[in-house]
Amino acid sequence: MINLLNHILLILLQSEAASSGVKERLLEGLFNVNINNFLVLSSLLFVIGIAGVLTRRNVIVIFMSIELILNAVNINLVAFSRYWFLQSEGKNAYMGEIFTIFVIVVAAAEAVVGLGIIIAYYRNKETVAVDEIDLMKW
Amino acid sequence: MIFFLQEQIPLPNPPISSAPPVQVNAILTDINPIVNYLPILLLLIIAISFPVVALNISSFLRRTVFDQAKLSAYECGNDPVGDARERYSVRYYIIAMLFLIFDVETVFLFPWAIIYDQLAIFGLIEIFIFIGILIVGYYYAWRKGALEWV
Amino acid sequence: MQSLNLNYYYVLPHIILSITGIMSLLFGAFNKQAHRDLVFINSAGLITAGVSTYRLWNLVSSNAKDGPLTAFSGMVVLDHMSLAFIFIFLIVAFLSTLLSLNFLEDEDQSPEEFNSLLLFATVGMMLMASAGDMVMVFLGLEIASIATYVLAGYRKTDLRSNESALKYFILGSFSTAFLLYGMALVYGATGSTNLETISNAIKSGNNAITAQPMVMELLYVGAGMLLVGFGFKISTAPFHVWTPDVYQGAPTSVTAFMATGPKAAAFVAFLRIFVFTFAASYSFQLHTTWVNLLQVLAILTMIIGNIVALSQTDIKRVLAYSSIAHAGYALIGFLADDWISVAFYMLTYSIMNIGAFAVVSVMAGKGDEKTELENWAGMGFKSLGLSIALLVFMLSMAGMPLTGGFMGKFFIFKTAWDKGFHIIVIVAVLNSAISVYYYLRPMVMLFFRDENETNPTPLMSWTTYVTILLALAGTFYLGIMPGRLFSLLEVAKDVLVK
Repeated sequence: MINLLNHILLILLQSEAASSGVKERLLEGLFNVNINNFLVLSSLLFVIGIAGVLTRRNVIVIFMSIELILNAVNINLVAFSRYWFLQSEGKNAYMGEIFTIFVIVVAAAEAVVGLGIIIAYYRNKETVAVDEIDLMKW
Repeated sequence: MIFFLQEQIPLPNPPISSAPPVQVNAILTDINPIVNYLPILLLLIIAISFPVVALNISSFLRRTVFDQAKLSAYECGNDPVGDARERYSVRYYIIAMLFLIFDVETVFLFPWAIIYDQLAIFGLIEIFIFIGILIVGYYYAWRKGALEWV
Repeated sequence: MQSLNLNYYYVLPHIILSITGIMSLLFGAFNKQAHRDLVFINSAGLITAGVSTYRLWNLVSSNAKDGPLTAFSGMVVLDHMSLAFIFIFLIVAFLSTLLSLNFLEDEDQSPEEFNSLLLFATVGMMLMASAGDMVMVFLGLEIASIATYVLAGYRKTDLRSNESALKYFILGSFSTAFLLYGMALVYGATGSTNLETISNAIKSGNNAITAQPMVMELLYVGAGMLLVGFGFKISTAPFHVWTPDVYQGAPTSVTAFMATGPKAAAFVAFLRIFVFTFAASYSFQLHTTWVNLLQVLAILTMIIGNIVALSQTDIKRVLAYSSIAHAGYALIGFLADDWISVAFYMLTYSIMNIGAFAVVSVMAGKGDEKTELENWAGMGFKSLGLSIALLVFMLSMAGMPLTGGFMGKFFIFKTAWDKGFHIIVIVAVLNSAISVYYYLRPMVMLFFRDENETNPTPLMSWTTYVTILLALAGTFYLGIMPGRLFSLLEVAKDVLVK
């Protein structure tokens, strides 16, 4: 089955690649993505997350922004992991990926606890707007 | 027990980076990364087509006669059509939270499954301990009535 | 052949506590009203874990020449620092278990959740202490934090408790996100998440993979973000705003736990990453940079903590600001690269703080209703023993001789003075003098004001009584005879490699 699909793809690529250079562009896309691109994406997500935490009113949205920061971290870790994988010619693999798995799981656990806390708060106060959470100050 | 566990477990061999397939074809080895993703494409196609086919095939097989009783919700079920912005019961969130945590924990099973044959019996024991702890948590939630509807 | 080096004996205390936590969860699921049995189960687990930690301490001492013991591919490091802090966490967990019994019997909720979450948080803190890898630091931190978020909101129907948990959760996970981003950047710069490898990379200035010079900007930004993340966790000055709200709203026995345990845990991870990993090296300015930065932060922390505490009217907020100020004092020992004085300080701080919160939990009555100082007017003679205990703890926090707080401050200031941090020590001593004012204000309320309403004499159960007595004994023992403990730690200093 896989062989058959290989074959189909091969034929498709051969016919196309000869004229338009699709193959080259594909390969470039797969191998030569600079690590900077990943880092820029990740820092953008990070900044969006921080801005979300600082400006939004709804606790749920703030919480989503925090999750966004965690995903920025994941992108960073995976990108660095791949970078060091290529640098060390395959000897140093997976460190960042393992970290990412733990981040994903811990983020889920945190989400569960956080949603539970938010539900408990909402049951008592009927709001989740941060500027109304002001029972204690100074 | 401790002595048994102190055994030195060999690390799995380092992964071979993008191993070329057996058929030596210049173009095939070049586009190898895409070929590796073909099973995923296949899975995607099957996954999409399965529900589509299953949902639509019945419309070719069934008789199209409707009456009042047939159009009503089955027994005591809810009316299936309505406003989407209706308020959900808080029970939904509790079930969703439980689902979320037990669903994501399985992410640890994937790395284990990949090198299962190299970890052998040791990995099996470890993963059973892991699942055992999850089951204790699940049992506690069940016992405390978190899964009761109403 | 590389090996995973799975040595379960090195994490035996962690395993014992995890099993105890699961057992008490199941025990509570099968038995209603099992408050007292749960205290016994928890205490048994904590004492067993303490014994195994003691055996590990001896093992580490006898293996001292070979350097710290590692297990699980360097994920777990056992040295005297981690074991000393594990002892502190066990003491904190034990005292908190005893203290919380009274509160749990008043609440109409499942006590097993409280007890097992307490143990799980302790396991997380112990993992932080024995972490040899950034992954483990993160995991331990999150295990401890997530359990503590739930504990803070344990009083489900009380709005203050809800609000405390919500604030703690939002700001805690925000700071964790910062910490993680910093870890990712440090990994990117050095090519490893193992702290020893990172330390070697920083000493040589080359990354661990290709031995090329590493990208300094990444390392600096990463270290800065780690600093912010840990700053949140130990509540240093610009990142301290969550502390008073969270401490005030949480149930008092929970506050006693989270003002001491997680703070000490954050300190040990902070020490492990900054003092041991980002250590001084000849070629490279990272160490000087963070030392200078932390110096400013420590001064700010002490001043803000002490000055704002002066104007507080709620006893739990006073103690919260005092804990901020104490974080500032402990940071001085941190700057002097001396983990021993920090460990000793965290021990004295934990004991006297748990004692003070224990007295507050009794005086505040059921449901923590009376935490305003106004409510305490004239209660002193009615509950003389409690008031005197509170006086001792407050004086100890202010740094009165003959109490543990004095010895802790003395050792920290002495090492810092010897290392040449003169200005910061002078600032700290002045701050201690200021703090006497707000530590003695509750006493003025208790003894020199007329009672404006008829308060009932506060009642307490025998476990709270034992907690306060133990904390008193600890405070005096550390204040009068710290020599034995300190010489034990000093031996550890000699054998600590690096």
